Amino acid sequence: MNSRLAFLLPLLALALPAAEPTVDEIVQKANQVSYYAGKDGRAEVEMTIKDDKGGTRVRKFVILRLNGEDGAQKFYVYFKEPADVRSMAYLVWKYAGDKDDDRWLWLPALNLKKRIAPGDKRTSFVGSDFLYEDVSGRNLAEDTHELKETTDQFYVIRNTPKKPDTVEFSYFLVWIDRETFLPRKAEYYDKNDKLYRTVEATKVETIQGYPTVVESVASDLRAGTSTTNAFSGVEYDLGLNDNIFTERFLRRPPREIR
Amino acid sequence: MKKLWLTQFSLRHPKAVMAVTLIVALVMAAQFPKVRFDNDPENMLAKDEPVRVFHNRVKEQFALYDFVIAGVVNEQDPDGIFNPETLQRVHTLTEQLLSLRRSPDGLPQVQAGGESRTVDLRPKSLYRRVLNFVFRHDANRLFTSDGDSAIIAREVIAPSVVDNLKQAELGSLKQEYLMPVPPTTRAEALVIRDDAMGNPLYKGTLVSEDGKAVCLYIPIKDKTFSYNVAALVQELTKDWPAQDRLFITGLPVAEDTFGVEMLVQMATSAPIAGLAVFLLLLLFFRRLSLIVAPMVLAVTTIVCTMGLLIGLGFDVHIMSSMIAIFLMPISVADSVHILSEFFDVYHRFDDKRKAVEHVIGHLFMPMLYTSLTTVAGFASLATTPIPPVTVFGLHVAFGVALAWVLTMTFVPAYIMLFVPKRTLDRITATRNEAEGEHSTAMTRSLEWLGRFSYLRWRAILLVTLGVVAISVYGITRINVNDNPVRWFTSNHPIRVADRVLNEHFGGTYTAYLTLEAAQVGGNDCATKAAHLAAAAQARFGEAMPEATREFLAELDSLKQLYCNVRTCDTKDCLVRLAAAAERIDGKATKAWNALADGINYLDPDGLTMAKLTDAVGKLDGVGQAEKQTLFARLAKTPNLAGSDLQDKALAICDEFTSLSFRQFVSEQEAELTAPLFKQPAMLRWVNEFQAYLAQDSLVGKTSSAVDALKKASYELNYVAPPADASPAEIQEYETRNRSHYSVPDTARACGQVFTQLEGMKKKDSLFHLVTRDYQQLNVWFQLKSGDNRNMEQVVQTVADYVKANPPPVKLVDGWAGLTYINVVWQKKMVWGMLRSLSSSAAIVFVMMLVLFRSFLFGLLSMIPLSVTIAFIYGLIGIGGKDYDMPVAVLSSLTLGLSVDFAIHFLERAREYQKRFGSWAAAAAQMFKEPATAISRNAITIAVGFTPLLVAPLVPYKTVGFFLASIMAVSWLGTLFILPALITGLERYVFSRQPKESEDE
Repeated sequence: MNSRLAFLLPLLALALPAAEPTVDEIVQKANQVSYYAGKDGRAEVEMTIKDDKGGTRVRKFVILRLNGEDGAQKFYVYFKEPADVRSMAYLVWKYAGDKDDDRWLWLPALNLKKRIAPGDKRTSFVGSDFLYEDVSGRNLAEDTHELKETTDQFYVIRNTPKKPDTVEFSYFLVWIDRETFLPRKAEYYDKNDKLYRTVEATKVETIQGYPTVVESVASDLRAGTSTTNAFSGVEYDLGLNDNIFTERFLRRPPREIR
Repeated sequence: MKKLWLTQFSLRHPKAVMAVTLIVALVMAAQFPKVRFDNDPENMLAKDEPVRVFHNRVKEQFALYDFVIAGVVNEQDPDGIFNPETLQRVHTLTEQLLSLRRSPDGLPQVQAGGESRTVDLRPKSLYRRVLNFVFRHDANRLFTSDGDSAIIAREVIAPSVVDNLKQAELGSLKQEYLMPVPPTTRAEALVIRDDAMGNPLYKGTLVSEDGKAVCLYIPIKDKTFSYNVAALVQELTKDWPAQDRLFITGLPVAEDTFGVEMLVQMATSAPIAGLAVFLLLLLFFRRLSLIVAPMVLAVTTIVCTMGLLIGLGFDVHIMSSMIAIFLMPISVADSVHILSEFFDVYHRFDDKRKAVEHVIGHLFMPMLYTSLTTVAGFASLATTPIPPVTVFGLHVAFGVALAWVLTMTFVPAYIMLFVPKRTLDRITATRNEAEGEHSTAMTRSLEWLGRFSYLRWRAILLVTLGVVAISVYGITRINVNDNPVRWFTSNHPIRVADRVLNEHFGGTYTAYLTLEAAQVGGNDCATKAAHLAAAAQARFGEAMPEATREFLAELDSLKQLYCNVRTCDTKDCLVRLAAAAERIDGKATKAWNALADGINYLDPDGLTMAKLTDAVGKLDGVGQAEKQTLFARLAKTPNLAGSDLQDKALAICDEFTSLSFRQFVSEQEAELTAPLFKQPAMLRWVNEFQAYLAQDSLVGKTSSAVDALKKASYELNYVAPPADASPAEIQEYETRNRSHYSVPDTARACGQVFTQLEGMKKKDSLFHLVTRDYQQLNVWFQLKSGDNRNMEQVVQTVADYVKANPPPVKLVDGWAGLTYINVVWQKKMVWGMLRSLSSSAAIVFVMMLVLFRSFLFGLLSMIPLSVTIAFIYGLIGIGGKDYDMPVAVLSSLTLGLSVDFAIHFLERAREYQKRFGSWAAAAAQMFKEPATAISRNAITIAVGFTPLLVAPLVPYKTVGFFLASIMAVSWLGTLFILPALITGLERYVFSRQPKESEDE
């Protein structure tokens, strides 16, 4: 037995990378990979919202994203379908640090541009099972992170909120791909330690060298609803003009989304 | 003596009879632990009843739940409940309810403000605890079988967790909860009040219009949790100060509470009734050993009947809980007759067996028939379409039949085994003395009564006719009405809460009206084409007459193609129209679009006319004509620079790009394909409909998706007047803003506002009011009264309105909600009861014909009970008592019970007439022993039901009161009307009577 161990040990040492990353390094990198790929990006999204009785609603929109300094970002979301919300648009400016987002809304049928006050980010994104926070990312400083487990494929991170009263979960687990650092699955547990919500990257492709989620599913286990986002036409580093992310472009959408 | 074989067998083998009775009783009693209770009035209707199926479908479609409503009322504070202390309490309570979970030791545990609390809801009183144990009611059952909270947290409606759209700094729109954190100052509390009052969905529903009350709507996973959830709320608020009063209401709580109290009632009323009957018998017969038999018989009957019910797998429902109390007095009646007679004749035989044989031989026919009529009366309930009533009727019928069998077997066996001869001898010796004052007084007054009936027969018949006439008038005034909340006495907490909360709010009784298109597809092709043509003419007709004509011609040819030849495929048709529109748009529109695009991408910083001219000059695909037009227009407003210049240039472009047929078609596509409840015309109709209902005094309030839409439209379009605005300007802003408190003009606009509502913080709350496809709308009615009568009126009001004001698209409507369901089963019950009454009347009449073998006697026997029923229902009508479930049930059993007296009376009358030769002589004798027996019987049954009078639940009270009255009236009817009638009809009654073959 001893001799076998002695034989295995050098092999094991070879298989391991020089140094395992720390928890902070893992979550930092995962955040970077999932929300900041490239300088900018574009994707067409087909969002299928499924209710508890199996009925579905489909929404199609285009997202443009431009990275700024220190984690600041700008988003432009333009709706194409259904017919009644065609040309409806959102503009979001996300800032570095604790500063609240700025958001604007354009409702073409009302010829109305309205600023939306920053609110709870854990609110449904356009009535789907995704939250604003899923779309734009949760501030890493809001949770404490610990490496729960390292499997063949994943780092399993347990994230516990620093202010538990401000959120509905008591903690959530994230499975981060050890190779690409792309989070593949998140499980949210309620205050009774019961799983109530999952977000999963169901399809991943490498596009222009960036590992990219091309299909993701968010499920509300309590309400029995789920939402699938299918991404297509994903492009990075388009060289988007900063002007696009201004109120003026709400009324007259940029060429990049057409 | 073939008919006595049962009795003779029992007299010979008393021990065997005792043993069999005991074994059967034990077997039936063994079924008791399997008992299940059902206190859901919904089960008054069969599970597959259309209205229940529809109700459940609506609940499912709109994700509606049964609510426990907890109202907090503060009438002391000048700001009502909108003071920081009260709101803090409401917030804490909400947090606690949301956090409900099971502690490791199985108790309910809640949390608020980081503070965790475990509560134990088991009652403090030992009696209640024992009852809970017996009825297996777990007071701490607040969790589903997989341990989840009974409260559906994400659907709780409370200030802390409902959406609030409001204006915030920089003209922005804020989306948050109405009370995200409890206020700390009066000013903050008043902001919450104003926000709540400003939302049509909350005013009158969540908060009262007077600001003195707030209601928490606590959705529960199952109605059967409501009693315990109510108890939890009580427990969590018991340390609240006196000014913050808590009231709990809602039909589920009322119904569940009724169920729980019903069990208590069952456990107390039946034994008290037993005790009352026991004491009465003791008074009549003064010998314990004699009256033990009827008591044991009654208990055995009840045990066997309930055991059968439970054993057959039926739930104990409100109706079946009354079985015991019905059987108690009825089952002793026959043995009272036997004992009464046995007691009288024993001295003639001085032999138990002979005395028993004589008595039973003598009473056999009347007892058989009185039992059979009672069985028929109850069994006729089986013809009602209400399952619990059917079960009740059949089981009581079984119990009565069993009581008869036991009277024939068990009572003789008992007399043989347990009544010592010595006792009987002693009774005989002291008989006259023992009868005492009481009996003589009774006999004396009965004899006087007899003389009166005989001599004053005309007067009696006249009075009877008068009573019947008044009764018929009363019957015409009967109000068919029921309301489960009224099942409680008026000072019961449920009734108090109902009163207080309905005083403050739009109403706590809910009904849902769902609306959907009568046929899918909506408008036909021609209507759509006409709409398109009109819209195109209005938008382009003046500016571009030529192009407009071209477009209309294109539309017309497509109309020919699609409306006449093919089926109306709107989508396909619009695709082709869009292609044509793009062609008509031509180069000019494209050029203006390219121009606008180019200008849009320019950097506004440092933009000057020179830079703009330069940039525009470089643009491809833009002709000189458009550029010249643009700059000619810009020249009118010189000195513009930066973003002002850019905006002005874009505004000019927009004037031309907006004249695009292509864009017009795509906008119209949204209009024409919009689902029903995104169409402005339809939504406006609903708006008018609700405005009409708001004036109806019975409808406290209605809520619909239109209310949410109007509110959101207002907030989205709101523009605050500038700080330096003059009063006139402020007024202007106000008017403008108010004009947006309405249904937007286009389906697109409605759709876009609805999309904002779909993304509210409380996810999917809009879909309680409209289906996700916007094809079905749910109008939530809050009624101030749960009276079925009022619900019916509201249904009628709605039907009348829809008829007088037809909606733009033909609609089908459907009602759901517990208040409405109660109406349906009540209607069924009224007609069902009438049917069962007439069928049992027919059966009883046939029985009477068979028994008396005389048409006239048969008719006579029906008269006292007919008068009784008329009188009782006349009394209900004149007294203003609603005809409700318990009253309805009474009708059938009146028949079965009150005919008994007539049977006994007529049997004896005929016998005595034969014996004494003349009716005059017989009549005098009739008012001795036979009248005494009838009177004893009537008193026993009446007294047996009196414990119900002190019950805290109204249906029991009603049953107790009316049964006692029924006994009194049919007793009077028998002893007054029958002799009076016989006197008047003497010639016919006794002359045409056929010779009877003697049985003995």
